[in-house]
Amino acid sequence: MALRTDSDNPIESGGGDDLWLGLEHFANTPEFTEMLHREFPEDATAWNDPVSRRTFLTLSGASVALAGIGCSPRPASREKIYPYVKQPEQITPGLPLFFATGHAQQGVTSGILVKSREGRPIKIEGNPSHPGSLGSTDVFMQASLLNLYDPDRSRQVINGRTGDEITWDTAIGQLKGKLPKTAKVRILTETVGSPSLAQTIDTFAKQFTPAAEWVQYEPVNRDNVREGSKLAFGEYVNAVYDFTKALRVVSLDSDFLGGVVGGVRYAKDFNSLRKTAVPGKDKDGHTAMVTPTADQMNRLYSVESTLSPTGAVADHRLPMKSVEIESFVRALAKELGVNAGEGGALPDLAKKWLAPLVKDLQANKGKSIVIAGDHQPAAVHAIVHNINEALGNIGTTVKLTKPVEAKPSNQLADYKKLVEEMAAGKVDAVLILGVNPVYSSPADIDFVGALKKVPLKVHMGSHLDETAILCDYHFNEAHALETWGDGRAFDGTASISQPLIAPLFNGHSILELIASLTTNAALVTGMEIVKTFWQNQPKDGGTPPDFSIWWQHVLQDGVVPKSEFPAVAKKPATTAIPAYKAPGKGTELNLRADPNLFDGRFANNGWLQELPRPITKLTWDNAAIISPKTAADLGFSVGIMRSGGGEHGKAQVDIGELTIGGKKLTVAVWIQPMHVDDSITLYLGSGRERSGQIGNTGFNGFKVRSAESPDISVGAELKPTGEKFILACTQSHFSMEGRRPARSAYLEEFRENPNFAKVAAIAAPEWREIDETLPGNEHKHEEHGHDHDHGEKKSEGGAGKKEEHHEVHDKRTIPLTMYPPTNKEGRRWAMAIDLTQCNGCSVCLIACQAENNVPVVGKTQVTKGREMHWIRVDRYYEGTDPNDAANLVAHFQPVPCQQCEKAPCEVVCPVAATLHSTDGLNDMVYNRCVGTRYCSNNCPYKVRRFNFLTFADWKTDTLKLMRNPEVTVRERGVMEKCTYCVQRIRSAEIEAERQFRGIKDGEVVTACQAACPSGAITFGDLSIKDSMVNQKKAQSNNYGLLAELNTLPRTTYLAAIRNPNPEMPRA
Amino acid sequence: MAQVFHRSMNAVSRIMVFGLPLLFMGSVLGGSIIYRSGYITGRGETVDQPVPFSHLHHVGQLGIDCRYCHTSVESSSFAGIPPTKTCMNCHQQMWAGAEMLNPIRESYKQNKSVPWERVHNLPDYVYFNHSIHVAKGVGCVSCHGQVDQMPLMYQSKSLLMEWCLKCHRNPEPNLRPASEVTSMTFKPADYVNPETGKKENPETGKPFTQAELGKLMKDKNHVRNALTLTSCSICHR
Repeated sequence: MALRTDSDNPIESGGGDDLWLGLEHFANTPEFTEMLHREFPEDATAWNDPVSRRTFLTLSGASVALAGIGCSPRPASREKIYPYVKQPEQITPGLPLFFATGHAQQGVTSGILVKSREGRPIKIEGNPSHPGSLGSTDVFMQASLLNLYDPDRSRQVINGRTGDEITWDTAIGQLKGKLPKTAKVRILTETVGSPSLAQTIDTFAKQFTPAAEWVQYEPVNRDNVREGSKLAFGEYVNAVYDFTKALRVVSLDSDFLGGVVGGVRYAKDFNSLRKTAVPGKDKDGHTAMVTPTADQMNRLYSVESTLSPTGAVADHRLPMKSVEIESFVRALAKELGVNAGEGGALPDLAKKWLAPLVKDLQANKGKSIVIAGDHQPAAVHAIVHNINEALGNIGTTVKLTKPVEAKPSNQLADYKKLVEEMAAGKVDAVLILGVNPVYSSPADIDFVGALKKVPLKVHMGSHLDETAILCDYHFNEAHALETWGDGRAFDGTASISQPLIAPLFNGHSILELIASLTTNAALVTGMEIVKTFWQNQPKDGGTPPDFSIWWQHVLQDGVVPKSEFPAVAKKPATTAIPAYKAPGKGTELNLRADPNLFDGRFANNGWLQELPRPITKLTWDNAAIISPKTAADLGFSVGIMRSGGGEHGKAQVDIGELTIGGKKLTVAVWIQPMHVDDSITLYLGSGRERSGQIGNTGFNGFKVRSAESPDISVGAELKPTGEKFILACTQSHFSMEGRRPARSAYLEEFRENPNFAKVAAIAAPEWREIDETLPGNEHKHEEHGHDHDHGEKKSEGGAGKKEEHHEVHDKRTIPLTMYPPTNKEGRRWAMAIDLTQCNGCSVCLIACQAENNVPVVGKTQVTKGREMHWIRVDRYYEGTDPNDAANLVAHFQPVPCQQCEKAPCEVVCPVAATLHSTDGLNDMVYNRCVGTRYCSNNCPYKVRRFNFLTFADWKTDTLKLMRNPEVTVRERGVMEKCTYCVQRIRSAEIEAERQFRGIKDGEVVTACQAACPSGAITFGDLSIKDSMVNQKKAQSNNYGLLAELNTLPRTTYLAAIRNPNPEMPRA
Repeated sequence: MAQVFHRSMNAVSRIMVFGLPLLFMGSVLGGSIIYRSGYITGRGETVDQPVPFSHLHHVGQLGIDCRYCHTSVESSSFAGIPPTKTCMNCHQQMWAGAEMLNPIRESYKQNKSVPWERVHNLPDYVYFNHSIHVAKGVGCVSCHGQVDQMPLMYQSKSLLMEWCLKCHRNPEPNLRPASEVTSMTFKPADYVNPETGKKENPETGKPFTQAELGKLMKDKNHVRNALTLTSCSICHR
């Protein structure tokens, strides 16, 4: 990473050569160059949809002629108002309510606050009082809202034999009759964290003799983590990490900044030690924010095979095959004095890593964390526990508790046993609840065959999925926002989940199904079960006078007070760690949970399908990911943007045939820099067959998964088939070439040259205006502006500026500009995005999509560059050789509308549809827009989105319920873009204005800011002197994107600072 | 050579030269009149309601405050249409058997909403908020007219954007003390100066005029300036 200096003018030097977007950019093909120089993607401007141009003109001529006929000049058609008959006490039409509930995944619950308007949940935020969230969310929590309104959800109970729709009562009655007390019943669920559900299942199981067995199996599970703890401690133990105290972090193939349970909290904690300004003393000894020293900032070492968001922000990243990591861990353990046995031979670079890494860790004893990825074998986890013990971390940064799962188990082993029993005809009835094993079984476990041997098959799920259609009974499962439940967070904190809406399709929860099968009643409601369960629980937080009061408080707060698991005193041992077993030879295959679709449960979620995956930027499909060198070795072409002269969003890639252990899969191949060589990564969760209308896309990784080694296996072969496949990738869209949009430096460089991120102006007379983006200078310039009335006007800055006003006015410094002067009175909204804190997780996109009714456009439209996200996360690579994964660095940069003070879009709009508001927002007036797209043409940031077709779904009823009523649902032919969540600003403003007060700092939180677990986004009012956003902008690494264009962006960036170890072999 | 055009063509050409622009101007003028007319805007039209509710009776004669029914007018964007329960509060006792009130009783019995017809309907891209207007001292009467004299509810203003902007540019004519917002009879001359306890403007020594009161209230209620109030995103999002 080169040092950025003021003199280092990127334009003159033709600079930014070492900062590139993807392989095509690097390859600099003529097609790519042409694409860069096009304003819009080739297809985006062309009318190449099924209606031909001629037909279109004919139709539009006819429509003009007919315009008068169907159109009534009378007032907008009368609407009806349906008031309540008896208005519920809490509800005020027009005002939102927030309810605390939970989102469970992998058996771990994260607290959420759900915004409800007139009884409809419309937005999910994190619950600030819940330890697993602290107010932020991940993409799954955000997007689970769309699952609620998924029109493809199963809508009734179905008798699978006859295909008839039956009622719940009938089905329950029939089932009870078919389950004699001697039946050998098996219950298959996902990981259960809910204490009340676990108790209910146990009670149900005990009715039978012998007792029914309960098997938990999720395709992406934490078996390795659990078994690792058993190896180290002799029993299942849960490790909770405290990143707020960890100055040195070693991630061994772990994507702990989001990809693990507790990831949202970990990202927040990790970034609390990654501030680029910390409280300290300035030169004069005054308290001030100063640049941190190397010991005030944490340092992340990442050893991983496929590039993860965590690896991308690491200070040091060692690309290493997943199968080799065990050897690395054993070598590391040995250096640290842990006797974990010898591993295999290490690559040279890894050997060089060991000494400085060990030295750094030992210098920070008790202040470090070593964490291993969920898919690494149990032995690695056991050794890592021992390493943490040797480093004195257990008890300080690592807290051991009892497991948070209600019934921790070895899921894969249990599942194998279950399928064997089923195949042998030893099972009379199987209840498959909320899981989809027909889709997600490893290929060498014949679940379908075994299922056919079971006389009674009962399924409960949200969709009529692959498993449902093979069962005798299908119960439609209610969504988590429709049901009562409970759960535990990653640290054991319990919470109660409450419904926000009556089940849309009369569904019920698994809890209700099991409870109803246990009792004589046809339906036991979830609330009864959960409430009774907690009534009988000892309350850790002291006995409240009354359970109903306790209950109200717990529901309101979303957490059970003081229910966090206490630390257990345990010492790990190395005795049970198995000796190293060398992995077989050959290319390795990594099967991972998809960053968007997880294990396939979110496959029918359009928001997640269209969300560019953090690293690959692929939407709608997955692909086998390999490194450029491996691609060359295997004969896959590198130039992947060739089709049709280079189009944004459309990547034509080779199809390969993936073979491993006799299993075959034909899969698109994606070439990914920074991926380790001789290794293939394939995300699970795609290639569904019955997910719904939109989810059956991509390639099913479960077809090459083995029960033997489900996550990491070796001996894979990948051969080109000669066919091509079109992937929708947003990677190379909207390139900002040669201008170093994402800036970064090492901490030492930053300390030497704090202003490295500033760029000198291109045009000299404009220097003052440009300087204005720099903090501290603003006030002076206010007096130099064109508007000489400033002195008289009420100005937020207050007194003290009057003196400067009398400064001799040098006319030569009057900026040459055709833009009207910027309003400097009153509120001035602005945003600062800290690139050090951004790990590219992209939850901001989903949060924005939910908040602002941003439509999903579909794969074809993405390939035409027409995706509608109002914020994008650019991902850049830096380095000179794309084949050299160890010497590449990745950068992320979220880009919403920059809300320029001198906005180039505004001056070109012929109908004044985009204008400035007095508080500095670049307003977009949809009902004025005629769709010339001049504004987008003139926007240097390419953040405007044009609604080419009617992208918003105006037909599907359930989706109408989901929309934010505060935001217009845009029609076709209208430009749209980030508004800084103007609806939130205006509602806070109305609240404040009503009380005749100002808006407090932090009162307005944009959707992206609220969702961001890292706290990378700060939003606020520049006119409040000490506002958070002013503090951020006062940091010396603050810079405006393309500030040299004199657009005065209100959104600015804080250049990324990395804190590398000087003794490490440097990239 | 004989004349090509007959003399009478002079008159025709004069009519054309002067008439065509007149016709054009006339149609523009006519168009803009029609555009602003009640036919287009719906102003002054009574709308058939399930129950012929009379504001004249309830507000004008009985003196029920607006907020008794429109409960959320001070807190929400939506002023609120009363739930059936509000009607039944009184009509369980009064006119309990009146045929006219059948829809109300049916609604209450069957727990089904009364389908009221919306009278004031703004386009969907307008995000009007009642609470802020009430807080800043814009009287109900300013937008809804003399509701106390309407036997059946109708829209008394055009609700065109130019009508909104007129007040956003110059709110003074419509501002009054917050306590008088719901009053249908308030006159600026009635304003009692809270400091002196008299109906006098200390500056002029005479009762307040609307211009003086508006200026005072604009200041007192912190009404923002015209530039801010005419920013697009104040109303459109």
